[in-house]
Amino acid sequence: MDGDILVVEDLWKFYGREAVLRDVNFSVRRNETKVIIGPSGSGKSTLLRCINLLVKPDRGRIILDGDIVTEKKRDIHNIRSQIGFVFQHFNLFNHLTAIDNVLLGLTKVKRLPREEALRKAKEALLSVGITEDLWRKYPAQLSGGQQQRVAIARAIAMDPKIILFDEPTSALDPELIWEVLNVMEKLSRGGMTMIVVTHELGFAMKVAHEVIFMDGGTIIEKGPPDQILMHPKNERVRRFMERMIYLYSLNNQFKV
Amino acid sequence: MDWETNPQFFTYINLIFSSIGTTLILSITSFGLATIVALILSFIEVFSSRPFSKLVEWYGRILRGIPLILALFIFYYGLPRIGFPLPPIYSAIMGIAIVDSAYQEQLFRGAIEAVGEKQLEAAYAIGLTRWGVFRYVVFPQAFRIALPGWINEFSIVLKDSSIAYAIGVVEMFTQAIHIAQVIADYLKPLLIISIIYLGICYPLSYISNRFHRKLMEMGMVGG
Repeated sequence: MDGDILVVEDLWKFYGREAVLRDVNFSVRRNETKVIIGPSGSGKSTLLRCINLLVKPDRGRIILDGDIVTEKKRDIHNIRSQIGFVFQHFNLFNHLTAIDNVLLGLTKVKRLPREEALRKAKEALLSVGITEDLWRKYPAQLSGGQQQRVAIARAIAMDPKIILFDEPTSALDPELIWEVLNVMEKLSRGGMTMIVVTHELGFAMKVAHEVIFMDGGTIIEKGPPDQILMHPKNERVRRFMERMIYLYSLNNQFKV
Repeated sequence: MDWETNPQFFTYINLIFSSIGTTLILSITSFGLATIVALILSFIEVFSSRPFSKLVEWYGRILRGIPLILALFIFYYGLPRIGFPLPPIYSAIMGIAIVDSAYQEQLFRGAIEAVGEKQLEAAYAIGLTRWGVFRYVVFPQAFRIALPGWINEFSIVLKDSSIAYAIGVVEMFTQAIHIAQVIADYLKPLLIISIIYLGICYPLSYISNRFHRKLMEMGMVGG
């Protein structure tokens, strides 16, 4: 348990009578990057949303840095402010400029003094390569890649204990995917704890410390990236990976 | 009788212009009152529990279901029967305000509901409370979304205020009719006030469209 910043125990979530999450167990160490892969509808997004309580789990425990967040009476707003969340469709506040998007949480949730908030926001934006000329632009005036990087800055600036990425590149043009993955890789190397739901297997191979394969609302197999991606033990995972490897021609990529 | 050669032409024009004030007071006051009521009602409909939101729904359904002139008559002819006589201008203000509040309530509710689910998710995800989400994300966005429609709604109220003629409020339309009757020519006074109504409504509609285009550019409304 030492060094575990997030523990998920026996997590269940039902929509009606259908279980979208079934007995999910895993833990994330400090500074670890965990990648979750799996087919659509396997419960990956729901899992992330349960962790920051955007979706209320029906059973099980989630422990963030020693705090049992699933207990009743916990201040869920405070817990959410300690967890960064990066969405598939960026979800920037479209009435606010790039820098105001980052500032909102700092000034209204963390209640930092203006000066300090501004310093932190600028620092976060620069760290994801959003330069000063873009700070005063509205989300609609930015490219998808720029929007997603602002969204990452919005998460980083809050000094979260962990950042959850929900398919952060799925809504991007291929050319823009790279700039976002690049920022995420840098973040991971810098020691940020992150869980990344993605189909970017190259990223998983290169950056993940552990890969989790989910299907049917539960974890089918987990292990180091080369095990899950190249030599999966489970038949279901093998079938999935064969198709993915065909799709992305991963064989060549991984030999380099 | 020909206006161009009529020495009283300017007297009539002045009479019409002096009645613009009444039209503006009538429409601005009733519109403002309607906005206040509609804001409160729309918050109730969106954020409160079911019985209250149902009540608001029926308030709107009933008021949107009656002709405007009926509302004015209820205030002007109906209230004295139960001991609350209201002067014509107040009856007109009340009648227009109460009916228009039902339309504006729909506008505001629609605007609040038009704030995307994704925006709310992101707002909660950074740790804002329910109030914080409303204060910093829902309200500022709903305000912008409602603005073009709200401006158009004022144009509608401005034109509808002419119905106060029916209970004897001497606003622009009534004044034009009076003059028409005196000079036995309806066309010219009515054309003149048409231009005045249009002169106020056209710029408003222009501004409204500008705001709407801005919203589309910012990705806050469809398109």
